[in-house]
Amino acid sequence: MPKTGFALLLPTLLLTLGAADPKPELLVFGAASLTESLQELGKAYEATTGQRVIFSFGASSDLARQIQAGAPADVFFSADTAKMEALEKAGLVRAGDRREFLSNSLVVVVASNSKFRLTTAEDLVNVPRIALADPASVPSGIYAKRWLSGLGLWEKLEPKVVPTLDVRSALAPVENGAIPAAIVYRTDAAIAKSARIAFAVENGPEILYSVAPLAGSKNSKAAGEFVLFLSGPRGRAEFVRRGFTVRGAQ
Amino acid sequence: MPADDLSILLLTLRAAAIATLLILPPGILAAWHLARRRGAGRTLIETILSLPLVLPPTAVGLLLLEALRRSGPLGRLLDRAGIEILFTWKAVVLATAVMSFPLLVRPARTAFEEIDPRLLAMGRSLGSGPSSVFRRVALPLAWRGILVGTLLAFSRALGEFGATIMIAGSIPGRTQTMALAIFQRTQIGQDASAMRLVGVTVVIAFAAVWTTEILMRRRTQKAAA
Amino acid sequence: MIELDVALPLPQFHLRVAATLEADTVAVLGPSGSGKTSLLETIAGLRPKASGRIALGGEVVMDTARGVFLPPERRRVGYVPQDSCLFPHLDVRGNVCFGMARGARAGIFDEAVAILEIAPLLDRFPATLSGGERQRVALARAIATEPRLLLLDEPLAAVDPLLKGKILPYLLRVRDGLEIPFLYVTHNAGEARAAAREALVLREGTVMFAGAPDEALRSMSLVDPEARFDNILSGLLGKPRGIRETGSLLVGEAIFAVPAEETARPGAGAVFSVAPEDVLVSTRPLEGISARNVHSGKVISCEASGATAWIRITAGGLEWTARLTRSAAQELGLVPGREVWIAVKTHAFRRLR
Repeated sequence: MPKTGFALLLPTLLLTLGAADPKPELLVFGAASLTESLQELGKAYEATTGQRVIFSFGASSDLARQIQAGAPADVFFSADTAKMEALEKAGLVRAGDRREFLSNSLVVVVASNSKFRLTTAEDLVNVPRIALADPASVPSGIYAKRWLSGLGLWEKLEPKVVPTLDVRSALAPVENGAIPAAIVYRTDAAIAKSARIAFAVENGPEILYSVAPLAGSKNSKAAGEFVLFLSGPRGRAEFVRRGFTVRGAQ
Repeated sequence: MPADDLSILLLTLRAAAIATLLILPPGILAAWHLARRRGAGRTLIETILSLPLVLPPTAVGLLLLEALRRSGPLGRLLDRAGIEILFTWKAVVLATAVMSFPLLVRPARTAFEEIDPRLLAMGRSLGSGPSSVFRRVALPLAWRGILVGTLLAFSRALGEFGATIMIAGSIPGRTQTMALAIFQRTQIGQDASAMRLVGVTVVIAFAAVWTTEILMRRRTQKAAA
Repeated sequence: MIELDVALPLPQFHLRVAATLEADTVAVLGPSGSGKTSLLETIAGLRPKASGRIALGGEVVMDTARGVFLPPERRRVGYVPQDSCLFPHLDVRGNVCFGMARGARAGIFDEAVAILEIAPLLDRFPATLSGGERQRVALARAIATEPRLLLLDEPLAAVDPLLKGKILPYLLRVRDGLEIPFLYVTHNAGEARAAAREALVLREGTVMFAGAPDEALRSMSLVDPEARFDNILSGLLGKPRGIRETGSLLVGEAIFAVPAEETARPGAGAVFSVAPEDVLVSTRPLEGISARNVHSGKVISCEASGATAWIRITAGGLEWTARLTRSAAQELGLVPGREVWIAVKTHAFRRLR
């Protein structure tokens, strides 16, 4: 009799314990804006090398914090260089293998059916709320703040800002109509289904991504090779296709 | 169910099951001793054990993160031993175990307290030592309360969010549980796929609570008899 | 032999018992709340706050002055508490087997089951048993541990009037069949007299009397307002008399008319109990009375306790206790030595066994 209850638990246990332990996959921490392109490249890489690659996407600041705390990632792809430098200072990055070749730009998006007519930064004053990734830490938010500060608009707009976890979670509320406008990357706007670009930011701050294998990687050979793959012709082609700007010769 | 959802479900069930199994022995022992002891020490221990129930889960997460941080004393020890916890599936298990612990202990303790102490004394007088009385008298008499606690702990483990995201992150395929996946999908506007996961959790929660209720009712009926 | 010199603080008073009990059957008497149960639990080792010394058959199980305090599981004492305390999660078989050691004497289980007549109950759970059945199971469970001493706390008469006295015959079988000595808490001085060879009377934790059960009765009536003084008659069944509506019981030289039973076999042993209220006392020869049992005798003693007078009388070669109102006893002038007649109705004889 008393066993019936625990017997309910047992099959669940066996079922779940049976699931195998993580295979030696390559774990890549990537900025949220890289989601689609990196997933595509991960598949391509696995197809050619047989090395499985899995990703954790989020705000570069969150990912950097996790790496600092000891997260077992093999490669870090940050949306800015500051996070990478901080990790490098902490000795967590294989500095020699660090690559910086990817750039992006900011855009202001509104819902596809939005009534707001926004063409310049000044027009944002008329919008009740603006979503952007947390300007205190997340790269896209920091870039946006830098842009608006340069125009002297930040103080006026700051009360309207709804900070979000990462750039993709700034885009989502615009798409479902919760927030009328957001500042995101051009590449994010490109994948949006029900949001459109109101205007592109011109003369905005320089945006530079940074990718490097991590010092703590247990799979450091594959980590280094994957970084080379990303910065190589196949990687660059994919990023360009997604709307990123690729810098310098190969 | 899409393969992604299935793997999230399995990962969640597995972490919750391991966490529940891990806390069963210490939880039952803690409940037993709390039920048997009196005095100020007991209240203190009880309060400490209940903290995860009342603290914000993120606070518990941060405390765990600080404790296990590579630069911290415990983190350094683990690092030297080559044990990785933070941001691995072990961190999910740890976070859910800590958060679920009080939910197991409370009903189990009540069940132990409800046992007539004279039955335990009787067991001793009939020649059984303390541990044997615990096994042959206390456990069988308290099993329903322990089971209720186990199910509560398991349910909590399935849904834990705050502490998990602090120390395990939300790495798809590794540490992303149902609760984390629902949050993450909503954040990036994939409400429909998040809703699919919500449906799965509703089914699981329903089953767990239903089982608990049935067992509770049988328990009260038995008490009335 | 039980050597006791124990102290135990209780909420109302301190239990202090110093006594050496030689007999194999000791009745512990005294009013409710006099510390009887606490004394049994102290001997069983269930009272950690107890101090002093206890030796059972020469083996010291507790001597706090020397730091000796055997845990209950090592005292080899069979305790049968007032409310039986059967394990609700085990059936009767499981309960009886609970305390059987791995190397238990072969047949002890069957013996316990047979003596207490619980074979039909083995697969039932305690919740479905009557009070008397539970008591028998608890006794069987204690016996199965092969204890060197049985401690039996009689269920309160107030809880279950029918149960009172029913356990006694089984106890006698255990004592005589298995030769396990026992300490027996009871409110029934009559039973104590029938079963015990030594008595201990407690009041507020102290020993009022220790010695022969007959003598204990005197203190009993003084200290225990709830005390029962049932007359216990143990004898042989005789041939039915008259038109078979009456049976007969032979006790020593005397013959008593008892209720006839279909199953009664002449020559079989039987134990009957007669309540002291059912014993009529007259100072003149009784004639023209419906009661079938009339015997002449002498008053031994007369104890008044509140409105009640307890009269002890020898009649028909037996010692009887009658319960009268105090005023009736005074009017009749029942003083020791006075010649009296007693009358007991046939149906006042209640068969115990």
